[in-house]
Amino acid sequence: MTLAQLDLTDAGSASQLIGFGLTRGARPVDGSDYRALLDRYRTDLRFKDTVDTIAEGLGLEVLGTPRTGLVLAPDPTGPFATRLADLKTMDAEEKLVFGLILVALAAYAYPNEGDLDDPETKLIDVVKVDDFIRGAIGGLAAIDAPDGSTGERARTAADVYADMPSLIPTQQGRRKLGCTLRAIELVCGWLVEQGAAREAKSLGPDTFQLTDRFRLLVGDSAGSEALEVLRDARQAEVSA
Amino acid sequence: MAQIENSSGSSRQPLVSPAADATARGRWRALVLTDPIHKLVRNAAHAGVDDEEYDLRQLAMAAVDLTVASMGFAREATLEEVVDTLADLAGRMQPGEEHAPQARDVAQIVVKGLLNDAHDQRRFSYTYADLADPGAVRFDNYSFRLLSLRDTEYGPVLVASDQAVMLFLDGLDVDIEDAEAALAHVLQRQLDDERFDAAVRTAGLAERTSLAMSATLTDLLDSTSRDVRSHDWLVDVPERLGRARKHVAGRIAEDDKTLDHVQSGLDGDVSAAVRAASGEIVDLLRRAKRIHLDLHDRLVGAREVFLTAQVRQRLARRRRLRLLAIGEELFTPALTLPADAATAVVETFADRALGVHVPRLARLDDMVDLLWAPPRQREAPEPDVEDPGADDLTEDVQRYPEAVLRAARTVLDVTRTAPARLSALLHAAAAVDPGTVDGAVDDVVELVLLSALWAFAPDLPTDDDEQTGEVDLLAAGLSAADDGTVLTHRLARGADLLVTAHIPGQPATQTPAQTPAQSSTHSTAELAAAVPAEGGRR
Repeated sequence: MTLAQLDLTDAGSASQLIGFGLTRGARPVDGSDYRALLDRYRTDLRFKDTVDTIAEGLGLEVLGTPRTGLVLAPDPTGPFATRLADLKTMDAEEKLVFGLILVALAAYAYPNEGDLDDPETKLIDVVKVDDFIRGAIGGLAAIDAPDGSTGERARTAADVYADMPSLIPTQQGRRKLGCTLRAIELVCGWLVEQGAAREAKSLGPDTFQLTDRFRLLVGDSAGSEALEVLRDARQAEVSA
Repeated sequence: MAQIENSSGSSRQPLVSPAADATARGRWRALVLTDPIHKLVRNAAHAGVDDEEYDLRQLAMAAVDLTVASMGFAREATLEEVVDTLADLAGRMQPGEEHAPQARDVAQIVVKGLLNDAHDQRRFSYTYADLADPGAVRFDNYSFRLLSLRDTEYGPVLVASDQAVMLFLDGLDVDIEDAEAALAHVLQRQLDDERFDAAVRTAGLAERTSLAMSATLTDLLDSTSRDVRSHDWLVDVPERLGRARKHVAGRIAEDDKTLDHVQSGLDGDVSAAVRAASGEIVDLLRRAKRIHLDLHDRLVGAREVFLTAQVRQRLARRRRLRLLAIGEELFTPALTLPADAATAVVETFADRALGVHVPRLARLDDMVDLLWAPPRQREAPEPDVEDPGADDLTEDVQRYPEAVLRAARTVLDVTRTAPARLSALLHAAAAVDPGTVDGAVDDVVELVLLSALWAFAPDLPTDDDEQTGEVDLLAAGLSAADDGTVLTHRLARGADLLVTAHIPGQPATQTPAQTPAQSSTHSTAELAAAVPAEGGRR
């Protein structure tokens, strides 16, 4: 649409909706402005185009509008991008472990592509996720090297994770940095901060609920991008 | 072997003997699995624990036994419990009063040794020299754990690795169903022979194996409701369920028979020891029966779980085609990548999966400005009583040099006597001696222009905008009117404003241009790109 056709009030409303999408904790409850704008986004094609265009200009992409609100994905070079490395000072191994945990959380919660369209809330549990990852690593060993030896291969991601102990308790009976359970706890904490998960204290101390936001981010943004990088890495491996 | 020897005369000689070579690797593994225990015995000497006083090897075996005994149960052996039990055992090895404080240390040394605590609880790692290739030696790494810690709701519990179980409890490595049947026979025989101690032990084992079956089924159903494809429901699972159903039916009947047998045995003339042992067996069998019935309930509901999960997962309506099964296509391949390449993959994933991050801290340049700016002192603006010529107004002005401000003020002073055209003011500003303002004549012109614009359309923002500071101070007390004359200047074009300084006490009501209607119909002087759009907010 040309500028002359764009109603300025529409532009204002569209920007307001993006603002709601960026605000942590804003919820489109019945009767709120947010809800009205969200409904308009779902029904009014022109308004949707306006919102999408403004978002694009800000370095954002509208991934969807589940009941919990507008889900925005950042352009990795834009002002709203989140970097894993910014969340905590971490060395190379820790970064790998944190990243693996995030992928594993997604794999645990959404094993099939169909799950990425299923709005049912998924529950994750810190201890079960650790078991899940270690189980997957154990399965690899059986396929790759039936004799259990790593031979002269380079250290793989699985080795890095398997070498880190599952639990090192502190004096106070909590989990110490440097064990994988603590790392999973940290990652879940970040997801809660990002609005991608909620604590589910009533179901257990280590239980979290993944939100629609995480589901859409994984399905429509993170998964395919990571797959690209994986393909490149494997191509490099084959051609090397 | 003969063939190999014939094929090339010089190479492929067996290292020791063909039979020895065939199993060398396996036997080497079994050998190194015990090495951590020898190591812990050696290291214990440094901690002042004498090998001759405490049988550390037996304690290590006991630790594995204790751990395995409760693995897979609802409540597994906690670290604390195992250390306590080992401390008791160690205490019995050196019963004297003076040894009592050492017993717990000994127990901790054993458990720490099994956890590889000296190396941050990493896996034990040993190197095998593979000499199969006559030309070269290849070193293979073999890593394993014996015990590891796992977190549960009641604290850290110990778990034994497969290697530990295989090595230390090899005798238990039997088919569960067969073991049950065999145990039933053994129990029968033991009861007939009145060997009750052994009978109690075997009855305990029977209960545990039933529990393990129940736990396996629970896991299977859990993972099925998460992901239907995690198990083969076409062939494997139905077979397992069928076996389990048959097993439960058989067990319940058999347990009843054994219970009858034991109880009828008690009716006869038996010793107190036999009576006590029988009582335990009866308790055990009753508990086992409850477990079997529980397992039966799960079995009945199993197919239902599968069907529900299938409807929900496989037949769910697809809204979009993504072709991404994260577990198979992303997670597993990433695990097999070398660490560097895997980091790139998972970081890409993480950066996007974490979603939007709204910057909440001020950027660095904002912070520096905030820290360096002098404290603001304009609590209540009183523009009407300000004198544009006053000399004490400089503290809030940071942008333009003092000389430029003074020059601009001199130019604007003309308006105190009579209204002046903006074009005339701009001319006067351009004519300022460059020597007095360090050559920044353009700044003077700009400042005069901005002041006139501000006087025409005072920008009274609610937020305290830094940049208007010097301009509104200079323009305070000025007012400007648009009488339709057109201005053409290299910095601005639009209306040639008539600028007047109003004397304090005489309000500037005669300027008609201040009404919003007029200012929106007339285009105020538009600034060229070189000038920040200070007055152009309307």
